[in-house]
Amino acid sequence: MDRAQFADQRQRSIRYFDYSLLLIVCFLVCFGLVMLYSTSSYNGQVKFADSAYYLKKQLLADVLGIAVMTVIAKIDYRVWKRFWFLAYAAAFGLCTLVLFVGQELNGAKRWLKLGPLSFQPSEMAKVAIIIFLATIISRMPKQMGKFTALIKVMLLVMPMVVIVASENLSTAIIILGIAICLVFVASPKYMQFFVMGGVVIAFGAAFIMLESYRAERLKIWLEPEKYEKGYQTLQGLYAIGSGGLFGKGMGASMQKLGFVPEAQNDMIFSIICEELGLFGAVCVILLFLVLIWRFMVIANNAQDLYGALIVTGVLSHIAIQVILNIAVVTNTIPNTGISLPFISYGGTSVAFLLAEIGLVLSVSRGIRLEE
Amino acid sequence: MVRNKTFNRKKILIIFTVVSLVLLLMAGRLVYLMVYCSEYYGKKAEDLHERERDIKAARGKIIDATGTVLATNRTVCTISVIHSQLEDPEKVIEVLARELGMEEAAVRKRVEKVSSIERVKSNVDKETGDKIRDYRLAGVKVDEDYKRYYPYDTLASKVLGFTGGDNQGIIGLEVIYEDCLKGTNGKILTLTDARGVEIENAGERRQEPVDGNNLHISLDYNIQLYCEQAAKKVMEAKSADSVSVIVMNPQNGEIMAMVNVPEFHLNDPFSLVTAEDVLSGNGSGTSQSPSQDESAQKEVTQEQLNQMWRNQCISDTYEPGSVFKIITTAAAFEEGVVSLNDNFFCPGYKLVEDRRIHCHKRVGHGAETFTQGIMNSCNPVFIELGMRLGTDNFYKYFQQFGLLQRTDIDLPGEAVTIMHDKKNVGPVELATVSFGQSFQITPIQLVTTVSSLINGGNRITPHFGVSVKNDQGKLVKTLRYDVKEGIVSSETSAVLRSVLEKVVAEGSGKNAKIEGYSIGGKTATSQTLPRSANKYISSFLGFAPAENPQVLALCIINNPQGIYYGGTIAAPVVQEIFTNILPYLGIERQQTPAEDSETQESNE
Repeated sequence: MDRAQFADQRQRSIRYFDYSLLLIVCFLVCFGLVMLYSTSSYNGQVKFADSAYYLKKQLLADVLGIAVMTVIAKIDYRVWKRFWFLAYAAAFGLCTLVLFVGQELNGAKRWLKLGPLSFQPSEMAKVAIIIFLATIISRMPKQMGKFTALIKVMLLVMPMVVIVASENLSTAIIILGIAICLVFVASPKYMQFFVMGGVVIAFGAAFIMLESYRAERLKIWLEPEKYEKGYQTLQGLYAIGSGGLFGKGMGASMQKLGFVPEAQNDMIFSIICEELGLFGAVCVILLFLVLIWRFMVIANNAQDLYGALIVTGVLSHIAIQVILNIAVVTNTIPNTGISLPFISYGGTSVAFLLAEIGLVLSVSRGIRLEE
Repeated sequence: MVRNKTFNRKKILIIFTVVSLVLLLMAGRLVYLMVYCSEYYGKKAEDLHERERDIKAARGKIIDATGTVLATNRTVCTISVIHSQLEDPEKVIEVLARELGMEEAAVRKRVEKVSSIERVKSNVDKETGDKIRDYRLAGVKVDEDYKRYYPYDTLASKVLGFTGGDNQGIIGLEVIYEDCLKGTNGKILTLTDARGVEIENAGERRQEPVDGNNLHISLDYNIQLYCEQAAKKVMEAKSADSVSVIVMNPQNGEIMAMVNVPEFHLNDPFSLVTAEDVLSGNGSGTSQSPSQDESAQKEVTQEQLNQMWRNQCISDTYEPGSVFKIITTAAAFEEGVVSLNDNFFCPGYKLVEDRRIHCHKRVGHGAETFTQGIMNSCNPVFIELGMRLGTDNFYKYFQQFGLLQRTDIDLPGEAVTIMHDKKNVGPVELATVSFGQSFQITPIQLVTTVSSLINGGNRITPHFGVSVKNDQGKLVKTLRYDVKEGIVSSETSAVLRSVLEKVVAEGSGKNAKIEGYSIGGKTATSQTLPRSANKYISSFLGFAPAENPQVLALCIINNPQGIYYGGTIAAPVVQEIFTNILPYLGIERQQTPAEDSETQESNE
């Protein structure tokens, strides 16, 4: 198909744009800002004497993110095919850089300081890996059925995973997860993945056994009330439990007043539970589910495999983060730092998430509705 | 361009399905946490957020028979600083040091200490507290609190008792009536953030305190005050160690006054009254010890405090001496072994086995009737009575009169009678017991037993508490006490009243005589153990009117210097007290001669 023909075809079909996805994302961003203000105003007041401190920073990131999203949504997503190597190299470079010149916060070197802004390269790595893998895989769709190709792709991802894992294990797990999802979708086989899943679980178990502090985390997970380090988990559970069916009402959380440490970050979902109750929490989960459903629809109707893979990457990124975050907050799995997309405080995270949404919207624009 | 194949779509659907299932699982987990564990975690969270502050219930007042409040509450303030809320520490230090009259360095130490809340000073006057509150200093907290307050400080100190840090009774009536006085503390439950800072407008839950009830007692402020003055006067005049006075209604056991001088300061119960008072009140053993180390010093102080707080009328036993002859007389008449006109002869002593027991009058009273014997307080007469009764009978009456049990007065720490074991009583012991020596009883026991003998034979329970009312004056409880009727016949009781009236009218108790009143009474002088110390206790027990006693008083002077005869030094005290309180109690003067002859006739 040559280019002229393609453009011709597009003009003939109805232009599609996934407004429902845009609506859900806008709603999530706004809801996120409201919840963020609710949870962070106390901490902002205590630490910076400005209850809107966190809100302002997040709002800035949101505005920036929406601008980026709008631009990216207008650009044909196929453009990014050309930047696959650059994206990977840049992300890898920044992730390496952060290990040496990174700014330390809460005992982890995760931020790069750029003038007044700080920037988390690991967030960029997620987008980079999506574009990188989508490009690579869509170039050799036939080979994807082979086990060797699978290994090859995973080997390409590994350096990024390792470099990120050295400072931020949770993000590395997400990157690995995204990679597995993409390979899974691209491959026509099933069996290999069961094997791979088994290997990952075995690897993870060995990892936990080898490192004593992770084993301790496991114990804390099982009995958070018995360990001092179970404090955060326990406080999250107190918040969730005191929410009840309909919650205490917007802004009425007690646990955000310093009991849940840094309530605006990873534990924000527990405060949502406390303020909005089971009803609110389930609504949030449903909202994410609808978002993921929109992703699936767009992915399945994407013009080409590349687009489908990009959407699948974004889908798996958001799905994994939502699942892991809620699982951690509800103490379903051991504690690890994963933020809730669009809602948790974190400028880099939300900006890149919105950029990813831009990619998905761009893919959705390519969908042709045939009459 | 590579197309999106069917298997790709299928796999995306699989991912979506898995994600949906996992999210459903999460929702299930949330249902579990927020519905089934909600109560558990919610309660834990609430415990974490709530700070409990007690609101003290006001302790009930103690009100005397005249309606005078003897124990009440005063509002005091506690000044604290909350370090995290301080804005201008220098000003706070300056203001607090000035207003509280504290050293600036001491205040600075408190203010600058990094703690959630630091108490600077407690028991601050309400006025000072209000003044400090008016400065509106950030981080300075003024909490109001109740403190027990005794308007008359030393008045009836050993009877009323005082309260401790938690407003609980420590001694005296405050202990016995703790339950009705204390009330129930209330609570303020406030919400705080993780730093312990109270959240404004969070709405506090209050549990209102229930104030304690008022205790109405039979003690009469005026009588108590008068007795205390009389006791102090004689204590000073005779350089005595201590003087105790009990004034009681012998008909029902209501105590109108109970004085033990030196009294102590109820509003400052932990400071010894004065060095010399304690020295004289305490004997010689504990005072001079300047070289002792601090802990020993402290121990001595606690011992001294206990001595100071001791209610001698209740907790100390003594040899009652001749006053006890009333009881011997009662037993002898009840048993019928003597009559008023029986003749006795006193050569100045009496031989018991091989011992010669002297009368206080060494030359002897010579021939005398029983009436004259008791008027003379003649020991041989009572030894004879004791011998006629015999040990078994004597003990039978002790038991019957209630002498061997506690009186069950509503004060803590009552001592029990120390009497010979019956099987160890030989003739010598029997003889000495007959005139009130070689055993010990408490003053309250003596007063109660004599009251019961002269009131017609009703063993009463001595008491202060009359009723419990709430602050609005509504009666909560009328306090009732046991009365055991018929411990002696009314005839014996009448005989006792008449002979005791004669003791005052014409005998050894004549110093208690008041023109226009018929007063009964008995003097006593007893030597304390060890006899070699030559210390005496002089006492006088009197009651009026003799034929129908409405008031009975006992005065005990412990270790008087100089003249130590009860009839000489203790009887005038009771006389003085009666002179003042009989008209006050509305007991009118009578035509003395007519009354006198009438009672004499009826008794003889």
